[in-house]
Amino acid sequence: MRNYSALLFASGLAFLLMVIAWQFTIGGAPMLIGNAILQQAADELGAANLVTSVVLGYRGIDTLGEIAILFTAATATSLVLSSISGQRSRPAPNTAQSGTILISSSRLLFPLLLTLGLYIVLHGHLTPGGGFQGGVILAAAFFLPLLAVPGHGVNHSGLALVEGFSGAAFILIGIIALFQGNAFLQPFMGHGAMGSLFSAGTLPLLYIAVGLKVGAELSGLLANLAEIGPAHPVAEISVETQSVKGSAHQ
Amino acid sequence: MNNIAFNIALPLLAAFLLPVIHNGSAKASRLVGPFVLLAMCWFAAAYFIFIEHPVALALGGFLPPLGISFHLDQLSLLMAVIIPLMLLLLWPYTNREGFREEALLLLLAGASSGMALSGDLFNIYVFYELLSVASFGLAASTHNGAAFAATFRYLVISGLGTVLALTGIGLIYTQTGTLNLAHIGQLAAQLDNNVGLAAFALIVLGIGVKAEIFPVNGWVPEVYATAKPRISALLAGLISKLAVLAIVRLLVVAYADTDALSLLLVLGILGIIWGELSAWRAKDLKRMFAFSSIGQLGMVLVAFSIPGEAGMFAGLAMMLHHLLVKPALFMLTENWSGSISSLTGAARQSPLGAALFILFALSLIGVPPFPGFWAKLIMVTGLVGADDSLYLLALGILLTATVIEANYLIRCAIQLYAPADENSSQSAKHGRLTLSISSALGVVLIISLFSITPLGNKLYQIAAEASNRSLYINTTLSNAQVPALRKIQ
Repeated sequence: MRNYSALLFASGLAFLLMVIAWQFTIGGAPMLIGNAILQQAADELGAANLVTSVVLGYRGIDTLGEIAILFTAATATSLVLSSISGQRSRPAPNTAQSGTILISSSRLLFPLLLTLGLYIVLHGHLTPGGGFQGGVILAAAFFLPLLAVPGHGVNHSGLALVEGFSGAAFILIGIIALFQGNAFLQPFMGHGAMGSLFSAGTLPLLYIAVGLKVGAELSGLLANLAEIGPAHPVAEISVETQSVKGSAHQ
Repeated sequence: MNNIAFNIALPLLAAFLLPVIHNGSAKASRLVGPFVLLAMCWFAAAYFIFIEHPVALALGGFLPPLGISFHLDQLSLLMAVIIPLMLLLLWPYTNREGFREEALLLLLAGASSGMALSGDLFNIYVFYELLSVASFGLAASTHNGAAFAATFRYLVISGLGTVLALTGIGLIYTQTGTLNLAHIGQLAAQLDNNVGLAAFALIVLGIGVKAEIFPVNGWVPEVYATAKPRISALLAGLISKLAVLAIVRLLVVAYADTDALSLLLVLGILGIIWGELSAWRAKDLKRMFAFSSIGQLGMVLVAFSIPGEAGMFAGLAMMLHHLLVKPALFMLTENWSGSISSLTGAARQSPLGAALFILFALSLIGVPPFPGFWAKLIMVTGLVGADDSLYLLALGILLTATVIEANYLIRCAIQLYAPADENSSQSAKHGRLTLSISSALGVVLIISLFSITPLGNKLYQIAAEASNRSLYINTTLSNAQVPALRKIQ
């Protein structure tokens, strides 16, 4: 029964997509909002990177939503993992397995990745990139030691602190604008000279908050997953899926 | 200092800081959530009481359609009041295990408020996504294999829905060149073609995953059967309504006079048939309520598909009634899980619980004088007034569904009051908190029973405002005073 309905749904969807493919004209889409933003964004926000003026200016609340989604995913994952990780002990750091080359190259890469990540975060309003991209690189820098030496300790409460306060900073910058009599998340502090590091008002500050939050969140998430370890007993899993199947057939 | 943006900012801020506060003082962290929810109630209620005309609030200081705007009318503010109230009612006060669940609930509150208030299609999508991810975590928080399996299914279907909704939004953007709902409404003529209709269908299927709309509701029975009653109550009662509202907003501003209405009508009819028949066959109480909520949301969808004010009035009445009744019924399934036959004689162990069950069941069926009767009456009037054979078919199906509903709910009620036998469960007693939550909702139901006329008048006023398309468009676009806006129109 379930298979038939899935087939029906898939064919309906295929029909829908065919209608679109048949009638859709490529090119010539009206660029109402796009063109208007292209014209005025530089004057209104003073950011050399136009994408940043959309992401943090015109659609700032969307970006707040996006960082909240990442935070939610990390929280939900650790909520699910907390029931599993409670039963098992963390493996002890094991440097012998990794070998000299892996360890020393991870140590060599760490400052380079950190610099690159920070550079991309700080120049988000000037060049392509920004908080999300730079944040991912920062997370990679902190995750590298964990890959090289499984069981390498991670300071979870420190990460939670960075994560919490950077997320709060984003919202608080928005609320400060509110208390100045402007709208929530309205950029302030002037424009500065376009193209210089200190320009575009609060946008770079928002991107620093995003970068730190994304970096801390992803490293925490990856560390959480790494600490669960690959050694989940196979027998336990198969028993659980069987009981699930049993309950689904009831 | 009052600004509705606080209803998004405060819960997110609290959720971000909750882990830090918890590391400092676990006791303090338990106070944060209720306090924030109370503040949200306060902000939204102040607006709801004092607002005279709909207002558009430009976020980030950029006027719509360039920036994102919130549309504050009586309907969106009513939802913004109901969201924190509902979460306060279903808050895990006795849960000693974790701040993570509280953080997820706060994120859910912020996302729901955003969805109710936002007047921008992509912004609604972002909040919808946030709400989805939070609900995955909450559905899996039971920590057993069956809940994980059900949540995984939910996650996959939701993921598919998200892709479909995003495709639909992308198509609307290619056709109109804008994302602001009011601006889309102004350019609605460009959507009156097959591509525009397909875009609407994709969005209905995508956002419809949360609204339990017919072909994308395969996750519903398992998730509601395995999640905590509080979470099922929240998902079935509140979250599904917000998804419906997002679809209805798009329908009103851009698709009011198109075939989109027939699409909703057909999906709604199929939902009623599938949901009610499955509920009739269900062997346990939680699955029965899960299927019945699919059927009820089918009815809500049918009601909203009636053209004009009548449809909005009927849809809102059905929706708010279900929002009140279904959470209470789901709360009662605590300790009443397992097969229905094990409930024999449960009324002796939990007399108040059984009495509340009867009260809500009667209202759900639509027995006069309960509010459910008036909601169904409004809907029947609307269907008759729509004067179209498909709507008359829907009327027939609605009445048949009511008979089926009455059959399975009364069957359950008889089981509850039957003398206990060897099948009956030993511990069918409800906790004090469960009973007080259900009683609180019961009191609201009874109060609304005695003030049905003023409530009906108020609801009609809200419906008339919400179904007024030109009012929606003018509020956002014409009341804005920036030359840039005129330039691009």
